[in-house]
Amino acid sequence: MDVLAKGFTQPTDRIKALKNAIYDATPTVEADRAELITASYKETEGLPIILRRAKAVEKLLNETPIAVRDNELIVGSLTVGVHGCQIYPEFSFDWVEKEFDTMATRMADPFDIPKDTAKRLHDAFLYWPGKTTSDLATSYMSKPCLDAQANGIFTVGNYYFNGVGHVCVDYGKVLREGYSGIIREAEAAKAKLNGTSPEDIKKCHFYDAVIITYKAATAYAHRYADLCDQLAAQESNPARKAELTQMAVNCRQVPENPATTWWQALQGFWFVQLILQIESSGHSISPGRFDQYMYPHLEADKNISQDFAQELLDNIWIKFNDLNKTRDAVSDQAFAGYAIFQNIQCGGQNEDGVDATNPLSYMMIDSAAHVAMAAPSFSIRYWNKTPDEFLYRACELVRLGYGYPAMYNDEVIIPAMMNRGIPLKDARQYCIIGCVEPQVPHKTEGWHDAAFFNIAKVLDVTLHNGRNGKLQLGPKTGEMKDFKNLGELILAYKQQMEYFVRLLAEADNCVDYAHMERAPLPYLSALVDDCIGRGKSVQEGGAIYNFTGPQAFGVADNGDSFAAIQKHVFEKKEVTMEQLFDAINHNFGYADETGKIEQWFGNGCCESNASIEGMDERQIYEAVKRILSANGSIDINQLQKDIQSGTTKTQAPAAAGDATQYQNIKRIMENTTWFGNDDDFVDQITREAGQIYAREVQKYKNPRGGQFQAGCYPVSANVLFGKDVAPLPDGRLAWTPLADGVSPRAGCDTSGPTAASMSVAKLEHETFSNGTLYNQKFSPSALAGDEGLKRFAALCRAYFENKGMHVQFNVIDKAALVEAQAHPEQHKDLVVRVAGYSAQFVSLAKEVQDNIINRTEHVF
Amino acid sequence: MSVVTVDYKQEGDIFDIQRFSLNDGPGIRTIVFLKGCPLSCWWCSNPESQRRRPVVMYNEAECVHCRRCESACRQHAVTFTDDGVRHFNFDACTGNGDCAAVCPVGALVMKGQHIDVRSLIDILKKDRSTFRHSGGGVTLSGGDPLMQADFARELLKACKAQGWNTAIETEGCAEPCDVLDVIPYVDHILMDIKHMDPEKHRTFTGVSNELILSNARKIAAFSPLTIRVPVIPKFNHSEKEIGDIARFAASLGNTECMHILPYHSLGENKYRMMGCEYKMNRLSVASLSNEELEKYRPIIEQAGVRCRIGDE
Repeated sequence: MDVLAKGFTQPTDRIKALKNAIYDATPTVEADRAELITASYKETEGLPIILRRAKAVEKLLNETPIAVRDNELIVGSLTVGVHGCQIYPEFSFDWVEKEFDTMATRMADPFDIPKDTAKRLHDAFLYWPGKTTSDLATSYMSKPCLDAQANGIFTVGNYYFNGVGHVCVDYGKVLREGYSGIIREAEAAKAKLNGTSPEDIKKCHFYDAVIITYKAATAYAHRYADLCDQLAAQESNPARKAELTQMAVNCRQVPENPATTWWQALQGFWFVQLILQIESSGHSISPGRFDQYMYPHLEADKNISQDFAQELLDNIWIKFNDLNKTRDAVSDQAFAGYAIFQNIQCGGQNEDGVDATNPLSYMMIDSAAHVAMAAPSFSIRYWNKTPDEFLYRACELVRLGYGYPAMYNDEVIIPAMMNRGIPLKDARQYCIIGCVEPQVPHKTEGWHDAAFFNIAKVLDVTLHNGRNGKLQLGPKTGEMKDFKNLGELILAYKQQMEYFVRLLAEADNCVDYAHMERAPLPYLSALVDDCIGRGKSVQEGGAIYNFTGPQAFGVADNGDSFAAIQKHVFEKKEVTMEQLFDAINHNFGYADETGKIEQWFGNGCCESNASIEGMDERQIYEAVKRILSANGSIDINQLQKDIQSGTTKTQAPAAAGDATQYQNIKRIMENTTWFGNDDDFVDQITREAGQIYAREVQKYKNPRGGQFQAGCYPVSANVLFGKDVAPLPDGRLAWTPLADGVSPRAGCDTSGPTAASMSVAKLEHETFSNGTLYNQKFSPSALAGDEGLKRFAALCRAYFENKGMHVQFNVIDKAALVEAQAHPEQHKDLVVRVAGYSAQFVSLAKEVQDNIINRTEHVF
Repeated sequence: MSVVTVDYKQEGDIFDIQRFSLNDGPGIRTIVFLKGCPLSCWWCSNPESQRRRPVVMYNEAECVHCRRCESACRQHAVTFTDDGVRHFNFDACTGNGDCAAVCPVGALVMKGQHIDVRSLIDILKKDRSTFRHSGGGVTLSGGDPLMQADFARELLKACKAQGWNTAIETEGCAEPCDVLDVIPYVDHILMDIKHMDPEKHRTFTGVSNELILSNARKIAAFSPLTIRVPVIPKFNHSEKEIGDIARFAASLGNTECMHILPYHSLGENKYRMMGCEYKMNRLSVASLSNEELEKYRPIIEQAGVRCRIGDE
């Protein structure tokens, strides 16, 4: 008899109705925010930027239309329509304009834009050319830096085109002291200024900005109170009338004053969560250790029933799903699934190193099971003293198959943070932001999603002597045929990495300056220590801890490629570097529908008609040199002939027989033990492939006075950025998906989940202090029954004992995913783990769906 | 108190190591497959296990016809015709592995590895955390591990010395002294009883069952055991035959469980890869499902033995 698994109750009808309202809504763009902020900016052109931002927030909070949803107990929404989104033109806008006609039908995350909304947005956008953070960042960047981005080496697109977000603020402070307390604090700090330091001028404006913002935020809550009263007056159902009346009372109490009940605490929490996302478009506004700062309010509420306390919490869980954002069509492939990454956690240890699990931790697991939607990103913290009961309960939730909770290992993350100079007590308090990024809550401006850096692309460029296709993008570090051993190749890879990481740091810092100069955020800053003490915004370095965290993906692709080259080229000598190079440049003999292989490497018959125009400078130089050394003079006809024969000689068109040869080379390269099978050789070389990146990144500093730190997670960009990467020596064909995060390549971990997780654990996650991401997929049968639960918990403990940092699970049959892909209309409720977050499966782009389906499934 | 020593230099032959096994003893386990089996069951899904010496398996689908093997083989067991069709003379093959060593794509694979206890323990240690947290350990399978009794004994002792749980999967067709030599180091004994009729047993497995049944009694006198029965159509797939085994299992007085496993033909391809006949094809029978074995549950339980079916 199974007794370890406790099972989950059904949510209330109210929660079910709220959930259906979101699934039934068509995400729609609203124009109010864009219009209002444009109007505000026009009114404040002469003011310091921090006051312009405060005035803008004031206008937004005073004038954006508000709504109370049917059935809800907690109020506050970004849009009048359910699951809609606003536009933030001060960061960037042209992509919205370009997508007016296509956003409703695009592959990933479609949004409706009604015609009149498009018109209003268009009018607002007329103000913004040259004035956005994005425009300023671009004007700071050098040409090589822009080239590297245009060629898919990395993107800083997240903060380049949007707000930064990626923060956990001091929610607890608002619930303890109210906005009135924060206003008092700012007033007191302002009163202490005596004008003796020039900085006082700026500080004074900062405090004024905070005061304006928090007064407006208080009034905003009162607008909701008034609306609730109004709705209560019209309401005929006495039960709902009473609820609305109480909701009005709540909105007059919080967030202005301290919360006196659990309901008010949740309402106050929600206003903070909401206003952060009105002020800026930055995503990954993460509630962090919710069970820690919220539990005192639940414990103190002696009158509330357990059921109602749970229903209120479930309602908060729903609210996370109502907030929505749109991004450009390309970014949305990287962030597929309407995800805004509000990461919320429970469990772990407190600052004194005592286990912090409390009754709310368990209630959060229940809410996640009740609501069973993509948001919030739900995580648990694990450490050696995590109670078995809590781990089993978390595993039971994983078994439901929604992809959460993700699990984070204190035993790795705390030392990793201390290695970045954070004291022990603060490190123990870490929370998770966005996908997988640890930070000290309300003390950090972590810039965690600073870039996607495609290290597989760096290998691709290394194999072509710094070229991307025909373009000399990086330094010349040697042709592939000239590498005599793996060490030489890795040295070249390292030199390319140095070059491109330098450009990455430049790009990030350009964007950082743009936010500092054009988008300091007063509402956010007052809730991050020690902005009020220092009298400046987080964008100007007001936070205690400052980082920039660009993350890599393609680690396994590079490790596997190095291992395959070592085995088949240098050890067994079955293939030469020249043959491998040729095979790569012919996509291993497989068709390339994009035609890019042809363009890049010029293999086909059309190349035999090559003219001087078609040649790049280097090739012309080589040809001229050949003729000169032979003849001592130049005959232009001979040059033309030589170029033609030269190209046909070295790059013969791929005949059928050649295609088989190339395919055989692919088969040979694939006869390699891959990363993910607990084989020390390939695991070590994969670790090195990743560490070369991480060590390079951590050399750099940002303008806020902080350090760069690498992460290793892809969101879903491994699919998108795979489209820029030519064939790799591991047999991967051109433009196909890369490995996600620190996971083995899809389908390559064939020795079972213990071997796979031990490989992953070897990567030295401590260096990737911006977070690592490991996906495991289990068939439901592998986890069935109490025995399955125990084994699952054992696997987690074993992985963490071996210094794994993060792991998350998809527990779903492949067949179920394939079925959902075929009949999306019947599977709107299917939630899966994509990367550092879960998403509605049917909302994902087909390629992302395929990538999830192809992950190795561990079964009996 | 006497000092227990382990001979870590003891060597043996294995053909596979499988991690994350959930069905061959408690917790999460690693199975070490030892080579050599006194039986040659028609349905055997590991035919490469039967001979003690290494065997070469050839997967034609993987072959790229590079003919490296043809030049490498001193016995000329591998030849190609002019049109590229490959022939493998399995009888001429001595299993020295020269061909597999030069095969660049893994179409030719050597099954069989000579290894000492020390090296094997180092490999098994990769899962020590998993063993510890799951209460799992190491299961010896085969072939029949008792065919290499000295190696099996030292390996099991070495596992116990690591604090791991041990299990063995055996046909029980070995010298009684070998059986008694090994089982003191085994926590869980999984023993196959395939049929109660000696002649039918001989026809389908190549040996009579008398030694097996007598060994079962010896083991039962010493230790609890699980009786495993592959249910094979036209061999023992009847209420009478399974019932007879159940009653025998009950009579041992120390049977924890009778675990019946449905016949599957997943091993068939391996016979092709070894150039051998898959005799089950003579019977033209299909694989069985767990559900088809449910009817045996009441019979087994009625005999007084706990019943387990398939991977439940």
